Amino acid sequence: TGGHTTEILRLLSCLSESYSPRHYIFADSDNMSEAKIRSFEQKRSETFSNSQFTLHRIPRSREVRQSWTSSVVTTLYSILYSLPLTYKLKPDLILCNGPGTCVPVCISALLLGLLGIKRAIIVYVESICRVETLSLSGKILYYFSDYFIVQWPNLKEKYPKSVYLGRIV
Amino acid sequence: FRFKDSLAEDLRGADLVISHAGAGSCLEALEEGKPLIVVTNEKLMNNHQLELAKQLHRDGYVLCCNCSTLVETLQSMDLSTLKPFPPGQPEKFALFLDEVVGFQ
Repeated sequence: TGGHTTEILRLLSCLSESYSPRHYIFADSDNMSEAKIRSFEQKRSETFSNSQFTLHRIPRSREVRQSWTSSVVTTLYSILYSLPLTYKLKPDLILCNGPGTCVPVCISALLLGLLGIKRAIIVYVESICRVETLSLSGKILYYFSDYFIVQWPNLKEKYPKSVYLGRIV
Repeated sequence: FRFKDSLAEDLRGADLVISHAGAGSCLEALEEGKPLIVVTNEKLMNNHQLELAKQLHRDGYVLCCNCSTLVETLQSMDLSTLKPFPPGQPEKFALFLDEVVGFQ
């Protein structure tokens, strides 16, 4: 969604073309992200000739302030939906920055890893907005990601297993 | 106006920005190098939105006030006390990631 997309595109801005093809996954209810992504990739293709990317929409796992019990149901549904997609894409690396959408994708990637089908490296970057507390996605993925990056020193203190590189967006 | 796709043009022409504490709004104004006053409304906002505004204020990048103190802030403000906001460094992330995945 919106702010998350802007942030993740900034994170991608300095990556080399070795990070290709790029598969963008976002919520089906999101109308603005597709345009931002296409614009980013368009600019990128002006520098790198063989730029490849795809777009995928999945059901949104949770609305803002949705109740806990219904969130579990919608997230389970999103995980079931993400599994065939993750199985098809078999990513080497998953990069996410916090929208609820990323949790089912990461969980399905973890399942694929446990089943010995494909082991992806999961890198989570908490949003720049998070100075003192983690988002709900962050609280979950702190334990399940391979690398958990925070952008403010307070969070590094509270979550010692995290990586602090300063502000990166 | 109701909603524009981008405020970038308006931002560039401004001498002072007064904004709510939304992260996108704050960061956009700061990145354009504009002096920024963040108006917080503790009743409307959930705590997490306040985090960034408070930190930016603590670091000296923005002035903060609430709706009732806005006029007073505008009258007594000294914008020269605001520090320039350094840009983020996605290149550091790229270096980190290259190491993690094994690209050199």
